[in-house]
Amino acid sequence: MTTIESPLTAGSPRNDIPKARPAPDADIIAFLNLEARLADEARYSEWEQLWDDDALYWVPMHPEDDPATSLSYIYDNRRRIKSRVAQLNTGNRHSQTPPSVMRRILGNHEVVASDSHTVTVESNFALFEYRYTQRIWAGRVVHKVRRTDHGLRLASKTVHLINAGGPVETLAFLI
Amino acid sequence: MTTIESTPTHSDGFDVTRIVQEDRVHGSVYTSPEIFQREMDTIFRTGWVYVAHESEVTELGDYVTRVIGKDPVVVSRGKDGEIRVLLNRCTHRANKLCNAEKGNANSYRCPYHGWTFSNDGSLTAVPMRNGYGEAFQKVKSELGLAQAPRVDSYRGFIFASLAADGVSLTEHLGRSTKAIDRLLALSPTGTIDLRANWMKHHHRANWKMVVENNVDGYHALFTHASVYDAVRPAKVSHVPSKVDVVVRDLRDGHSEIDYSAEYRKLDEEFIWYGRTKREKLPEYIEAMEAAYSEDELHDALVVGPPHTLIWPNLFLAEMNIMFVEPIAVDETIAYTTAALFPGQDRMNQKMLRRAEGAMGPAGFLIADDGEIGMRNQAGLAAEEPEWLVLARGLETDVEDGTGIVNSDKSAETPQRGFYRQWAKVVGQEN
Repeated sequence: MTTIESPLTAGSPRNDIPKARPAPDADIIAFLNLEARLADEARYSEWEQLWDDDALYWVPMHPEDDPATSLSYIYDNRRRIKSRVAQLNTGNRHSQTPPSVMRRILGNHEVVASDSHTVTVESNFALFEYRYTQRIWAGRVVHKVRRTDHGLRLASKTVHLINAGGPVETLAFLI
Repeated sequence: MTTIESTPTHSDGFDVTRIVQEDRVHGSVYTSPEIFQREMDTIFRTGWVYVAHESEVTELGDYVTRVIGKDPVVVSRGKDGEIRVLLNRCTHRANKLCNAEKGNANSYRCPYHGWTFSNDGSLTAVPMRNGYGEAFQKVKSELGLAQAPRVDSYRGFIFASLAADGVSLTEHLGRSTKAIDRLLALSPTGTIDLRANWMKHHHRANWKMVVENNVDGYHALFTHASVYDAVRPAKVSHVPSKVDVVVRDLRDGHSEIDYSAEYRKLDEEFIWYGRTKREKLPEYIEAMEAAYSEDELHDALVVGPPHTLIWPNLFLAEMNIMFVEPIAVDETIAYTTAALFPGQDRMNQKMLRRAEGAMGPAGFLIADDGEIGMRNQAGLAAEEPEWLVLARGLETDVEDGTGIVNSDKSAETPQRGFYRQWAKVVGQEN
């Protein structure tokens, strides 16, 4: 039997068709939801406890930026995450006094890398922030979650804001 | 006591002495759209304005897009090597010509009707030229891009003026060049690189709120209490009576908070840089030792970078550079980046991390300054009291060869200097 090549598939072997990435396991999704809820509810110290020791919390200005040569909005190592939380906890971080009222929705989860200890998940997010007025923040968030003896921990979180090219409003809450 | 002169100096009845006096400013300078427009027409249309840094346009064809007042411009290094400030508007039907933030281009082609301009501003191609008949050559020669008539630079900082006449850049900068020198004395090459990208922070406040606050030595203990309580103590005390930190009106609208006397008294290097030690920065120190004498090096490392406002829109924020773009009477964008030293990759990374810690929309300091500016703007909706008082330290100001100095860092000397210049420029007869 002769196969008639359809114009739609001509020159496009089947192995070029994009493959769906795997969905994260339920416990990973539950952890991402926990992280989102603690950030939304300004539960700073509890949120801080999710982080592992080699943490990196990164909000770049452009997705391809090299932090060695480019400035970011946030590039916090574990120590600076601690300071950020400590500042918020003083109650005198004026730009978060009172804290923003927030709810964020994560979706479109895709596992982009995994091994026996870590899983890296990309998700879309939409964050609704109310403080004097309502603002919407959105983008792609990349969580690197590590399985440890003490449960799941956050090794890194990178937030690619769709409006990272700016100008951006004050970003003193936990994005 | 100041006498209020009420003779209108303008045909439209505008009298600047009704809104700016020696020790106070009227709330309307922050809220009136008419005054905002007047600022655009005077400060930003007749004077020198900071537009870019030479490190951003090093190669032939490099450009960055910026705004002078409300006018979009392209700062372009032409194929002849000259830096021009081109008005970013097709001379045909006004399409905004260059829409990227930065790039490299030999020419700019308008997507509307295909008119093409060289990066020196000349009109090089007009499609279907026959439509102009005999007049074509005239159209072509007359319709090059408009340009800022005056562009000049001081040690890499490029300024432009949209007015053909006026004081030279040297006269405009006056004593503020010393602040630029002070910054560059910390660089082994005597130059800085501003290509780490600009944080663009949207402030809900009048541009002057953002600018004045940068040289306010009074607010830190209150606005930034959370940093000192939670993270680290201030580098030296913010209680004015405890330190030899001065505020200075450099004249011509420029002003600063100057830590140098305090730092020289302590004679300790790097107080301004997390109290680090030379051993921690071996490559930097080696390059500095090769470039400067030991005395010069020690003094530069003791006094550190400037904290100086250069009228009207540039702030040398110690190891960061900030400039502001007024958007509306109650809206401003602050652009901030880290000043990097060519060839000092390790130190530069630390500089970037320090900049992120302090500056921009998520910075430990500036996020709160933004909040306070926004609340200032909100408070101004109450029209009583009509005036904002800037009298702090008026009786203890001392004039010397460096400007008007106050040894109390909480004095409002910088703000008085800012508004003296403001009144002179905004009050000028058109």
